[in-house]
Amino acid sequence: MTEKNEIVIALLGQPNSGKSTLFNGLTGLRQHVGNWPGKTVEKKEGSFTHGDKKYIVADLPGTYSLSANSDEEIITRDYIASGKSDVVCILADSSQLERSLYMLSDFAGIEVPCFLLLNMSDVAKDQGKDINAKEMSDKLGIPVVLFSAPDVKKYDAFYEALETAVANKTVLNTSSLEQKYKDIPEYSEIRNIIGDYKDGNRTGMWLAIKTLEGDLPVTAKVKAELGNEKTAELSSVLDRCEKGIVKAGECKFAWIDELTAGSVKKEKKAAGLGKFDRLITHRIWGKPVVVLTILLGLLVSFIPALPFMGIGSAIGSAASPLNEALLGIGCPSFIAALLCDVLLRCFSFVIQMLGFVFGVTLVFGLLEEVGIMARISYVFDNTMAKFGLQGKSVMPFLISFGCTMGGAAGTRVIDNWGQKVLTIALSWAIPCGAAWAVIPMLSTLFFGAWMPVIIAVILIVMILHMWLTAMLFGKALVKPSERCGMIMELPPYHKPKWGSLFRFVLGRTKDTFFRSFKVVAIVATVFWLLSFTSSGVAGDSILFKVGQAIEPVTMFFGMKWQTFVAFIASSLGKEGALGVLSTIFSGTGSITVGSMVSAEKADNLNELLLANITKPEALAFIFAITFNMPCIVALAATYQETHSAKWTAIIGLYYTFTAMVLACIAYHIGLLIW
Amino acid sequence: MKKLSELKKDEEGIISSVNGDARYVGRITSIGITPGCRVRVIKNDKNRPLIVYARDTMIALNHKESSNIEVEEARR
Repeated sequence: MTEKNEIVIALLGQPNSGKSTLFNGLTGLRQHVGNWPGKTVEKKEGSFTHGDKKYIVADLPGTYSLSANSDEEIITRDYIASGKSDVVCILADSSQLERSLYMLSDFAGIEVPCFLLLNMSDVAKDQGKDINAKEMSDKLGIPVVLFSAPDVKKYDAFYEALETAVANKTVLNTSSLEQKYKDIPEYSEIRNIIGDYKDGNRTGMWLAIKTLEGDLPVTAKVKAELGNEKTAELSSVLDRCEKGIVKAGECKFAWIDELTAGSVKKEKKAAGLGKFDRLITHRIWGKPVVVLTILLGLLVSFIPALPFMGIGSAIGSAASPLNEALLGIGCPSFIAALLCDVLLRCFSFVIQMLGFVFGVTLVFGLLEEVGIMARISYVFDNTMAKFGLQGKSVMPFLISFGCTMGGAAGTRVIDNWGQKVLTIALSWAIPCGAAWAVIPMLSTLFFGAWMPVIIAVILIVMILHMWLTAMLFGKALVKPSERCGMIMELPPYHKPKWGSLFRFVLGRTKDTFFRSFKVVAIVATVFWLLSFTSSGVAGDSILFKVGQAIEPVTMFFGMKWQTFVAFIASSLGKEGALGVLSTIFSGTGSITVGSMVSAEKADNLNELLLANITKPEALAFIFAITFNMPCIVALAATYQETHSAKWTAIIGLYYTFTAMVLACIAYHIGLLIW
Repeated sequence: MKKLSELKKDEEGIISSVNGDARYVGRITSIGITPGCRVRVIKNDKNRPLIVYARDTMIALNHKESSNIEVEEARR
């Protein structure tokens, strides 16, 4: 119960148990995404009202058990043990009932009111499974609901079970499970040593079985409670006991089998791979099919993105006229520029970005929900494991050839934070659509027929860059001790729950808007201040002055002050690099945030570039902007997905630095050739 | 006695033991692969995770680590 008398429900379930669908269905847009205190795991909370009561829902991370192998598992069980929730809703997948009831058996022994939701009962029915929920409820002593979450209107059974569990404080009956545990001699010994000790709502049984399983935090806690003599006794039992976790697991599944034996009737059905599964898991065709699926998904995600992009760019194009109008009514140019050139344009970028985030989250959220993402993970597991990543990471990488921000948004389907951040960090090295619009043109201009060679070298450097970045960041983000081979369920294909998915995507898009606008506005304001001049002559700005002053240094990296300023500006958007060069070389007007991101350029830009930039410098410049930070919006998306200002800054600075190093190498190789 | 990773496509077995470090054994237990459990190999390609069917679930397992799991061959 919260201070405001709201009832707190915790949702507990394995991955693919339909937990997120239920959460979205219950809470709609009333959700809040944050971080668990001191951890990098995403914390999702929402609320809903039923009858005259208000409920708070905590969506716990999806884990397979309540052991202490990962941050997600520790957060989940500590939250339950903390007593912050009034009732725990345990989800199991009816179509894979025995396996997914493991969570219930692992929870057994924690004395918190709870009820069991047997989700996807429609799928189970199609399988010819007949589940007697009433009988299971009698055996377990808690409400058991057969459930499939097609639409919000059918949540009545859920509410009813919830109210019963809260009113009667229904606690799981564990006596038959403990009976099974007692067949393990070491368990009985540990149980005796522990005696009457309880830790909050965690009973002696739960503590004893976790100790037997070799659970380090629980063992430490228990030892701290017992006297020296008993601790020594406990240690000697544990030394004797081998593979406690396997023995405990056998008991749990024996209990589950007993539970379902009378209550579930099923026809034996031979399962195998369906047609599409045979194709996507094919040794030769699998990878091409995955790549095609992702590219198709990317294409489709542009459809919902287009209206946003239209609105966004319309807002952006209003900036100049509005600026004129403000100046006309006597508004100081500084204020007018800040309002129109900075804030309005930032707003325009973010709106355009939202369209893409919306499209990518929707399409790839759909692929995840349907079950295709798990297959993609399988197909690319071996390739991506070399970087310390999941197979799913191939999806953000491919999207990043189009747009890095979309790639970052796509990492949502990666359930491990470290792997998510590493995927984003690597995807920055992939030249995005904006780079592809600039690079071939510049390469052709300076190197003519050698253009394909330059492109090929860029692609090779990209792979080396990703490999090096994985080496540098990998250890910190994905600890080698936590790297483990694939153990993953390939869920049966599910029909998407559109309502729940839309609610989720809308909530996510709203969240992205506020976070991203903050980042984009701050970065754009800094750039704008650096390039602002009261005289209107670009050469008077701080950016240009500093650029000119440090030219001796930047020349080592192969950049004159003009190309260096353009390089810095390309951090905001790569198309802008040409716009900035155009402004500088043609000597017209001042640099605005607008010109930094749009490719408005002088008609004779080509001649200007050829006249002012040597071949080695051009090569350096090409590498510098290709491997620079993709754009501010990608930076904002990175912050939005990682929830970490620290890692966003590290990745940003790392890319600025490595782009300069690459430019330096390119320049000095160029000097040897020409 | 055979290693799970040695079973060919469509062969069935009953898990007799699960070995490896505590972390691995914990994870494999929580996904339902415990001694006594019946498994059928759906796909066993080189350089790809192994796909098995156990407890009504299709599960992909790292190939190398699956040699930690021993099975008793079973007739269908």
